[in-house]
Amino acid sequence: MAEKVKLFVNGQEVEVEAGKNLIDAFGAVGIEIPHLCYHPALGADGNCRMCLVGIEDGRPPLVPACKTKVAEGMKVQLDAEKIKKIQRDIMELELINHPIDCPICDQAGECKLQDYYMRYDGKPSRMTVKPVLKAKKMDFGCDVVHDQERCVLCARCVRFTRLVTKTGELGIVNRTDYARVNIFPGRPLNNRYALNVVDLCPVGAMTSRDFRFKQRAWFLTKSPSICQGCSKGCNIFIDHNREKYKDDVIYRFRPRLNEKVNGYFMCDEGRMTYKQENDNRLIAPQVNGREAGFAEAIEAVRRAISGATKTAVLVSPNASLEQIFSIRQFAASINAALSGYSDGYIKAGDGDDFLIQDDKSANRAAFTLLNIDDSKAGFDAAINGADLLINFQNDLGRSLAEDQLASVLANAKLIAISSAATGCTAKSAVAVPVASYSEDSGSLINCDGRLQRYEIAVAKNQPLKSLIEVTNLIGGEIANNQEARAGLQAAVAVLKDIDLEQIPAEGIALTESEVAHVAA
Amino acid sequence: MQVQVLSARFDIPDANKIDVAKQHGAYSTLEKVFAMQPEEIIEVVKASGLRGRGGAGFPTGLKWSFLPKNIDKPVYLAVNSDESEPATFKDRYILVRDPHMLIEGIIICCYAIKSHAAYIYIRGEYTTQVKVLQAAIDEAYAAGYLGESVAGHDYKLDVTVHRGAGAYVCGEETALLESIEGRKGQPRSKPPFPAVEGLYGCPTIINNVQSIGSLPFILTNGPDAYKAYGTEKSPGTHLFGISGLVKKPGMYELPLGLPLLEVIEKVAGGVRDGRTLKGVIPGGSSTPVLTPEEAQTVTLDYESMAAHKTMFGSGGIVVLDNTVDMVKLVENLIYFYHHESCGQCTPCREGLGWMLKIVRKIIRGEGTTADIDLLTELCDNIEMKTVCVLSAACTMSTRSYLNKFRHEFEAYVAGGAPTQAAM
Amino acid sequence: MSDRSQLIETGKPFAFDAQRDAEFERLVKRYPTRESMILPSLWLVQEQEGWISAEAMAYIADRIGTFPSMVYEAATFYTMYNLQPKGKTHICVCRTLSCYLLGKQEIVDYLKQELGIKPGEVSADGQFSLEEVECLGHCGTAPVVQVNGEFYEDMNVAKLKELLATLK
Repeated sequence: MAEKVKLFVNGQEVEVEAGKNLIDAFGAVGIEIPHLCYHPALGADGNCRMCLVGIEDGRPPLVPACKTKVAEGMKVQLDAEKIKKIQRDIMELELINHPIDCPICDQAGECKLQDYYMRYDGKPSRMTVKPVLKAKKMDFGCDVVHDQERCVLCARCVRFTRLVTKTGELGIVNRTDYARVNIFPGRPLNNRYALNVVDLCPVGAMTSRDFRFKQRAWFLTKSPSICQGCSKGCNIFIDHNREKYKDDVIYRFRPRLNEKVNGYFMCDEGRMTYKQENDNRLIAPQVNGREAGFAEAIEAVRRAISGATKTAVLVSPNASLEQIFSIRQFAASINAALSGYSDGYIKAGDGDDFLIQDDKSANRAAFTLLNIDDSKAGFDAAINGADLLINFQNDLGRSLAEDQLASVLANAKLIAISSAATGCTAKSAVAVPVASYSEDSGSLINCDGRLQRYEIAVAKNQPLKSLIEVTNLIGGEIANNQEARAGLQAAVAVLKDIDLEQIPAEGIALTESEVAHVAA
Repeated sequence: MQVQVLSARFDIPDANKIDVAKQHGAYSTLEKVFAMQPEEIIEVVKASGLRGRGGAGFPTGLKWSFLPKNIDKPVYLAVNSDESEPATFKDRYILVRDPHMLIEGIIICCYAIKSHAAYIYIRGEYTTQVKVLQAAIDEAYAAGYLGESVAGHDYKLDVTVHRGAGAYVCGEETALLESIEGRKGQPRSKPPFPAVEGLYGCPTIINNVQSIGSLPFILTNGPDAYKAYGTEKSPGTHLFGISGLVKKPGMYELPLGLPLLEVIEKVAGGVRDGRTLKGVIPGGSSTPVLTPEEAQTVTLDYESMAAHKTMFGSGGIVVLDNTVDMVKLVENLIYFYHHESCGQCTPCREGLGWMLKIVRKIIRGEGTTADIDLLTELCDNIEMKTVCVLSAACTMSTRSYLNKFRHEFEAYVAGGAPTQAAM
Repeated sequence: MSDRSQLIETGKPFAFDAQRDAEFERLVKRYPTRESMILPSLWLVQEQEGWISAEAMAYIADRIGTFPSMVYEAATFYTMYNLQPKGKTHICVCRTLSCYLLGKQEIVDYLKQELGIKPGEVSADGQFSLEEVECLGHCGTAPVVQVNGEFYEDMNVAKLKELLATLK
């Protein structure tokens, strides 16, 4: 446990974590200190002056909470009239040159300035002179659109590009109330994390071209999940909404804090993978190239399995631990060779030393844990002589060239169990749609051996069956996640002492040695 | 009333040249200095009672003693030659007329604080002055007073001139450091104080030109000789700049503690014929204005100024006579501080522009009593809510005019002053 | 202060001439970090070209090894850096406090009329540019005018007429 200190807030004794600044330490126990420029990932800057608090008997008596560490016995005033007045005064000054047009601002509903006005100001404007006019709708690159007028000059975005991505595209130019965030001419944002500035911006000054003006923030349901764009497993919020007479649709992914995985950030590519959850989905079952009923498709699969002389099963490195376990069980029960071949998911050299990984699959580490062979040789051996290939979610077209895929399919009939409409599903004799991860729950092991859990986020009007349910229907024994987890716990030594039903928010670190040990 | 302590060589032709300066005593105290321990020098400076001449008046020797002991990092000296506070023009005389006094002072200071690198931060506007200063530094290098072995001693010292480029705020010591480090002159939050974490994260002393320039006299003649001038708590002499509506404006070296009105009258010749005194800005534009009544009892020292709720500041005295429109003067001052706000802190960045627009509205004849009250309230709302005191420089001075000359603002509101097109 | 963020792009690459190159190399040794060379480098560009283009800023950033945005910030923050060409004769009139009290406005008005330009502008023939600047530190000899860096103290319209005559 972290060391604690006792201090007084508004005369009340409070115990908080030592070593932190007042904002973070108090925030952790539910006491808010308003702030705009401070962000835990970017450090204290101290420019907004919104977090000024009183320290009784302190020198100086007024300090920025972001730059002040908690200390034993410290007497902090948050509710003193002079502090409340400062908060009102700062809010007034923040707002004099800020457009008061929240109803047409994209940030409305998730704007700190708006929230703080309601909580700390609430006064009518006394501005009777012309406000400072600034530019609007500036293209900063990387699909970031800047509205200078809404900017509070907190410099979070500037600090992000200097401290985190170390690309430094943004700066605050000029001085006094001519100060503005800008890019150097001809040098727009050019980094793979640029859209984080949209999340970091406490107001509506940084917007995402992809998201802006598509949805009001307050209509969005924010469901926690895990990004499946690569093996990092960044924690995200899936922001989605079911508009009247429409389906539940995802509008954006946003990073969700996990200090052990991604901190506060995610990459832009991962962020945009939400589109794959909405679009190019396999919705209707297909049999021999025509749309078919679900029962008919399942029946066709069962017939194919019983008629096959040799069956190969292919599994995706994006499948959850529970799914892979169920598929492994299913493959064994029909004596099929199992492969996790997915070289095409790896983009060698694409990763960086921050979040982006070469491996664009979410759960390859589970292959190691469950002894799934993902080598090309293993796949070749599995497919050799097979007249049936059952492909669970694996986009084989990413790993095999067109002619290679064609030669595989020349001998083997293809059955695709898939959430996405891919080249494979188009070529399959039977295609069975399943729920994608945003509509399902499961466990993943990331590139660092961290076991994480995601839950169902989106509920479609026409819900698709989960992959495990379909596996069960075509002959697998495991009926659902609970059974899979029980099976995993019994079968995998590393998971024995882990309650797979209760994975903590930060995930569980499975040490590399444990994973390697099991594999060996 | 005038004395020649710092200005002893000011009137000697070509005293900016090292040969002339040396003939008149420049660098002569260095032998004595190098025979002393650095700590002894700090004690002498403490004993002299020298207070920082940049405006804040903090005791110089005490400032030096805040340097951490047993430091494993380099120590830097930054000489503040930004001299940008309106009505302040004293350091310029040292830079141009006796730069070797400054260089000698830098050597003394650096030796005392165990620094081997000094940066002179000179405001960019001092275009001709920087050439004189740089020439003097080049001479000092050539003569062996700077460089690998200062005056033949086993002590290395480099002095580098760093030019500002038009930013008043860089006179604030941490903004000055930011500017040397290549950034915008945006003040740093304190703590940490520069003596602990200053230039390049290292312990740094920042002193005004005149403070440093006072060192050769103090070390040559001893602390008592310096304390023979001035008052007990404000010892020594000061280069006062007297400007504005006065017969003989100029730079005058005076001991501290003289009566303000007497100095204006006897040294600067008093107000012009047929005019009467309306107010005095005692120490640079940021210091609260004094009415003639208040000025009666003020003496030119830190304590008397504080007792009159104003500040000694930079010693830049501005005389205002009965022709001055105080509202327009305030507009001129707020314009300045708004122009110079670094743009970092919300209250200063947004607030000073608002104040400027309100005072202009009043001047246009469109103001109301509520605007005067709002202006007054904004002074309170902005002041001391920021990282540095630039905004306070604006609000403290503005408030003094609002309080002491409110009737002039009210006259504008009542339509008593001619309305003008938007300024 | 005005909005100084609009930079001029010349379309031509910039480089220090031999003299400035040598001065850069001399100065860079005086600082423990290369970023400290941002202000001195901007001065060197201004000495060489009279003003500072976007290309020159990019050159400085490359030369120092920093982000162009850092140079951009500094160049727009410090108002003495010229971000567009100035007139052959660049006249700065101090507008603050003592110069204000002692009639800077008459000087500005005279120059506006005589040169046909407003503060911040350059004459059509490129001969003159005019600027109102903040306190120049010559309050004891106010009002003061700075012409191409040279100070002219105790100014009045008559003296200015004489001065302009020598410049035209």
